[in-house]
Amino acid sequence: MKPLRDIALLYRRSFIQTFRVPVWLVISFSTPLLYLALFTPLLKPIAGGPGFPNGNVLDVFLPGILALMAFMSGASAGFSTIFELQAGYTERIRVTPASRLALLIGPILSSLTWTSFFITMIIIVAVPFGFHIHIAGLLIAYVLLALLMVLFASFSIAVALLTKEINSFAAVVNGINLPLLLLAGIMLPLELGPSWMRAIGHFNPMYYVVEADRLLAAGQLWNATIAEGFLVMAPLAGVAVVWATWVYRRAIA
Amino acid sequence: MSAKGQAVLEAHGLTKTFRTRKEKIEAVRGIDMEIWPGEIFGFLGPNGAGKTTTLRMLSTLLPIESGQALVSGFDVRANPHQVRKRIGYVSQLGGSDRLATGREDLLLQGELYGMSRREAERRADELIDVLDLKEFASRRVQSYSGGQRRRLDIALGIMHRPDVLFLDEPTTGLDPQNRANLWVQIGKLRDAGTTIFLTTHYLEEADALSNRLAIMDHGRLVAEGTSRQLKQQIAADSVIVSLQEDGAGSDAAKKLLADQDYVREAGAEADHLRLYVDDGMTALPKILRLLDRSGMTIKTITLSEPTLDDVFLRHTGRSLRDAGRPAGEERQQ
Repeated sequence: MKPLRDIALLYRRSFIQTFRVPVWLVISFSTPLLYLALFTPLLKPIAGGPGFPNGNVLDVFLPGILALMAFMSGASAGFSTIFELQAGYTERIRVTPASRLALLIGPILSSLTWTSFFITMIIIVAVPFGFHIHIAGLLIAYVLLALLMVLFASFSIAVALLTKEINSFAAVVNGINLPLLLLAGIMLPLELGPSWMRAIGHFNPMYYVVEADRLLAAGQLWNATIAEGFLVMAPLAGVAVVWATWVYRRAIA
Repeated sequence: MSAKGQAVLEAHGLTKTFRTRKEKIEAVRGIDMEIWPGEIFGFLGPNGAGKTTTLRMLSTLLPIESGQALVSGFDVRANPHQVRKRIGYVSQLGGSDRLATGREDLLLQGELYGMSRREAERRADELIDVLDLKEFASRRVQSYSGGQRRRLDIALGIMHRPDVLFLDEPTTGLDPQNRANLWVQIGKLRDAGTTIFLTTHYLEEADALSNRLAIMDHGRLVAEGTSRQLKQQIAADSVIVSLQEDGAGSDAAKKLLADQDYVREAGAEADHLRLYVDDGMTALPKILRLLDRSGMTIKTITLSEPTLDDVFLRHTGRSLRDAGRPAGEERQQ
């Protein structure tokens, strides 16, 4: 029970502290809004064309943005870790008997809560602009996006603990972000691209999430693509959590 | 010493080597020590001596390479979890949570150590009182001054009443007034029975606070005992003479003085000679007469009782005050 209590304690700390940096809240919300406001109009002329079968661009574009939100929230998790390392907080907390899993998972679950809240807000905002809601599919999509967020948050925190300073950390994370995003078909489905791009995309875990996510948002509840999304994400997220916990447990020399 | 019962902390043959692509740095080369309940054990040495590395091994943060360390009988390597419950650790960086208030941070700390919310509240209020945190405990840590933050850091370290509290360079970066204040606070903790393991590169700090201390240099303990014992081992006052003559003249004077039976040791330093004599009061006139007779001119002459710096100098051949050069660079984060 001790690990669960530790998770709750560290969850509460992170959750409360999120309020104390309101700038972060504003940016987390404004980024997807800007995409919706300033990117969707560019897609209008190609509505009904390849990749946009039912003629509504938001139904295809919004799920991509939701995946982007989950991904960015995860990938940026390590920034707080860097600050905590530099303030000595990480070391202080590692000397306590707190569960190592809790050190990792408490804060991640807090960001997950916030991200889910923002995702819900964005979906609500998108409805008046023509996004069609399929509740059951969206609920399953939340689970898939949560796995994606946990995967990249664990990865990002582990990289932060290993690199220890902002420059190397930012270089690694930014270096990985862009190819992952471009080869996942977040903005436009990868089917629009040449076959070599789709081929590379198959090595990108993000790709499976985005594909499954689009189907789920469209109201599909289960098919091979959705199953693939979960089959790729669940084990990867598990491995990332185990790895990052191990990094916490191991001394950081 | 064994009459005091079980040691709170013991270390036998601790070593740590850092390997980089180019070189191998032996940061800690075989440390043996025991710390007894209720004492402040001072770990004195220049930056880079290996103090922090030793501390980080003892506090489970860094794997012990070889040797053994026990805290309240629990092996640090085999049983880090039990050790963590029994130690408090305040690093050079502190570790307080910038976005939390001092009180919130204390409560989190208590609860992570398994206290109930109520217990944690009671203990936090107690420490807010003991360490004078009242006026800022409900403000966010990011607004604290250096001295205020240090006091909170220490409160965090003893929140769970550890068997031993590790303080790594507690007053580094504080102004003299805050340093003096912190010394008073640390003294109060000792009076309340807290066992403290303190590292410092300030002689005055080790002298003022420690019941017992060890001097560390290049990864080894070169001397250990009470401050008084260490000074008595030197058992000598030091006389510092600077002469009008330099170079060959100064060498001749050194040789001459070293031959006197009341001079135990004579050494040349930058622009003066340092003599260790059994009894400074009686030696001084003899030195004056001797140099005068030999036709040398004394610019200044000073007599001082032994300080920890003399102890350090004696054991390492360097003065601690200018030994800060990173010989084997101290590893931190």
